[in-house]
Amino acid sequence: MTRPRRDPTRWLVSLPPTLFLLAFFLAPALLMVLASFRHPGEFGGLAPLLVDGKPQLTLETYRFFFGDWIYAEVFLRSFIVAALTTLFCLLLAYPLALTIARSSARRRDLLVLLVILPFASNFLIRVYAWIILLGPPHLLYTTFAVIAGMVYVHLPFMILPLYTNLEKHDPTLLEAAQDLGADAWTRFWRITFPLSLPGIWAGTALVFIPVLGMFAIPELLGGTGDILIGNLIKEQFLDNRDWPLGSTLSLLLTVAVLALAGLSVWAGRARRGGI
Amino acid sequence: MKRPMPPAAAIIAVIFLAFLPSPSTAGEDDVLHLYNWNNYISPETVARFEASCDCRLKQDYYSDNEEMLAKLEAGAVGYDLLVPTGNAVESLIRLHALRPLARERLPRFANLKAEYVDTWFDPGNRYSVPYAYTVTLIGYNVEKLRERGLPTDTWALIFEPKYLEKLKGRVSVLNSARELMAAAMIYLGHSVHDTDPAKWDEAKRLILRAKPYWATFSNSTYIKDLAIGNLWVAHGYSNDMFRARADAADAGRPFHIGFTIPREGAVLALDSFVIHRAGPRPDLAHRFIDFMLAGENAADVSNLIGAGNPNAAAMPLIRPDIAADPAIFPSADEARRLQMLKDFDVHSRRLLSRIWTEIKVR
Amino acid sequence: MPLGAGSDKSAAGDRRPSPAPSARPGRIPWLWLASLAVYAFLYVPLAVVVLFSFNDSLLNAQWVGFTTRWYDKLLHDEALLGAAANSVLIALTSASIATVLGTMAGITMQRWPVGVLRALPGLVLTPVAMPEILLGVSLLIFFRQVLDLTLGLFSILIAHISFSIGFVAIIVRARLAGMDESIFEAARDLGASPWRTFRHITLPLILPGIIAGFLMSFTLSIDDFVITFFVAGVGVSTLPLQIYSMIKVAVSPEVNAVSTLLMALTLTLITLASRLAPDLLRRSA
Repeated sequence: MTRPRRDPTRWLVSLPPTLFLLAFFLAPALLMVLASFRHPGEFGGLAPLLVDGKPQLTLETYRFFFGDWIYAEVFLRSFIVAALTTLFCLLLAYPLALTIARSSARRRDLLVLLVILPFASNFLIRVYAWIILLGPPHLLYTTFAVIAGMVYVHLPFMILPLYTNLEKHDPTLLEAAQDLGADAWTRFWRITFPLSLPGIWAGTALVFIPVLGMFAIPELLGGTGDILIGNLIKEQFLDNRDWPLGSTLSLLLTVAVLALAGLSVWAGRARRGGI
Repeated sequence: MKRPMPPAAAIIAVIFLAFLPSPSTAGEDDVLHLYNWNNYISPETVARFEASCDCRLKQDYYSDNEEMLAKLEAGAVGYDLLVPTGNAVESLIRLHALRPLARERLPRFANLKAEYVDTWFDPGNRYSVPYAYTVTLIGYNVEKLRERGLPTDTWALIFEPKYLEKLKGRVSVLNSARELMAAAMIYLGHSVHDTDPAKWDEAKRLILRAKPYWATFSNSTYIKDLAIGNLWVAHGYSNDMFRARADAADAGRPFHIGFTIPREGAVLALDSFVIHRAGPRPDLAHRFIDFMLAGENAADVSNLIGAGNPNAAAMPLIRPDIAADPAIFPSADEARRLQMLKDFDVHSRRLLSRIWTEIKVR
Repeated sequence: MPLGAGSDKSAAGDRRPSPAPSARPGRIPWLWLASLAVYAFLYVPLAVVVLFSFNDSLLNAQWVGFTTRWYDKLLHDEALLGAAANSVLIALTSASIATVLGTMAGITMQRWPVGVLRALPGLVLTPVAMPEILLGVSLLIFFRQVLDLTLGLFSILIAHISFSIGFVAIIVRARLAGMDESIFEAARDLGASPWRTFRHITLPLILPGIIAGFLMSFTLSIDDFVITFFVAGVGVSTLPLQIYSMIKVAVSPEVNAVSTLLMALTLTLITLASRLAPDLLRRSA
């Protein structure tokens, strides 16, 4: 064991992204944390922070949120929709990512590009295409339409990390297993799948989380009951002009997501530790 | 050792850049920045103004007042002119965001009809010059409703199960707590300004009873759905219904779209030009407002999108079929049943949002 | 499933001396079928978009007749073309910068999870976990009320970089995870400087991740509406903002035409790029 040398590279590599995010993400985000404790302005926005030199802070917005079950219900629904979307994305992405990863190097590039290409069009256009498609079979304005749209829009975010992971697998492992008589299913289940877990987790994070904040798809494809947390947040900032409530909802969502992520990391560690 | 690969990103970037047209910037000297509703002024009128003032008019667009207010409240600056609705004008005035008008620079102000000046949101028109109005009403498929023997001039059409049974899945209502509650309150015989929680609860129950029959909440897609024939009844804005009617006719659909102001009353939205305090060119802004007050320019908005017009000088230049449409230019009698929305206070806004969430979830 | 497993077993039976290509683990028919189905899922809605860009009907509910008038209209729409140019410029610049910063963050997260750097994943991943609208509002308030910055291309650029970094970092880190650390150590032991190790060992290994990250940031940027809406300055528009305002009125086939051109452009440029620099996207191990 050698103690790692004091290494200037570490700081050269880690400082630029850290500083950038501190300045242009953390600082603005803290403003919004503060906003969740402030009073809403009479005409929208925020009421003055200081009145006669005294800070005007309140827990009222949090009390309002936790005052009844309605908001928790919206959270729960959103998590269910996000989980379903992630699951379908995974089911669709896996065979494709596997095919791409196992094709010849030359063809691989083309296949990856074919995944990206639809996303060079426009988000709203892709959603409108679904309006046209789902209209005639009377599937528009249903929860099914919402999930179909969500899966469609987020699919590459599952395919790309999965593919990057699967591509680096060592094919000799599979050949060895084959030589030892393992059938295709066993080879997949015992070798490919466990090795691809980091890719699955990355893809899950990239799909699950953005779905929670999405509001355009439920609005355009959903029926009268399809409301997600993203709609609720958008409403506070754009329709209702209640910034403290909007900030509170966003922060609680962020906390819930990070807690979930932490939980899965912890569960993963615990399991690995047990083996 | 292997030759290092060229950084892919850089190469793609260089190739992309070679194909790039120069990005647009707004660097000219005489530019007037208008933050406007989409499709509110025809390109011909813009060209005429640019010729007359030897300047450029640049427009950014918004699709509802709250969107515009949210941006301004967070500190966006640089717009000279805005076209907010009455309640938003009031908010902007109270926020000290507007510049008082120099009336002597608006000689054509006298063209405005008396009933649209000196309104509650800006007594004496110190800040605002009315430009156009729309009514929130019911648009419908004429043939489908006639076949089913349904009335077209009452809010009961979107609230009463006895009618909705014949329309299940063919109705959309606005995705706006304010507008939908206002319609429910009007139908129940209350004022749209009422914030009594008991009355709101009554309205909520009315909405929840009707909700199972509705297809969706929609703020814009109903235009197309009506014109195609997917929806038979839509709660929405008169100018949108005008568009749906024209689109259905242009596409030769085998039916007609009609729209009527319900007899119980409806919401009126009056949009006005106002000058932002931080705008760099109040001089051009005044010239533009006065230019738009001329009859031939003011008539634009009615001919273009079927909005109502507060300008008397514009009336002779408006297409006769539009000028004669009672849903666009209501009679004095009908006009009395129209109410403008006012902004609620913080407390009521939050309560309404809570009710709205419940309506969506249940 | 039984079909794939069965055919594979029979192939395995006679595969002794040299592995025939058909016996390679990738050649499973149902896998190809499934992949084709997923491609179909990706492309059917797009086919509708492209097809309807040639439809001679404003309503675009059914096929009426062939026309190119939406393209004519488009080519004379200055506002739209200007917005498209802005979008491409912003997407390229922000994706390039975010790719560099995100790769650095990904490497840091994987290699040095020590000391204060242990907090980096939180900093990198939270923007991904945060609702876009909150990012948009918070950046707008920050730019205007704290920095007193005039909004414009620059503010959009900063915003796009800050939400893209996390996406790149996640992918690069997933690529690095589970890689055999001993090669890096071997390089170090052989006296390679950290830069040389990175240039000749790490970079080639993580390049697919970096390219995927770049493409993803590019896509995110060129497609972003919510955040851009808040931080865009007066008179500076991007394609999504422009399309949004067109769509609000009712979708005109002009919007389909824009999308079709955008896809055609991307396809051409990428094909061109791979012709001009053949080993650009190909990774020979």
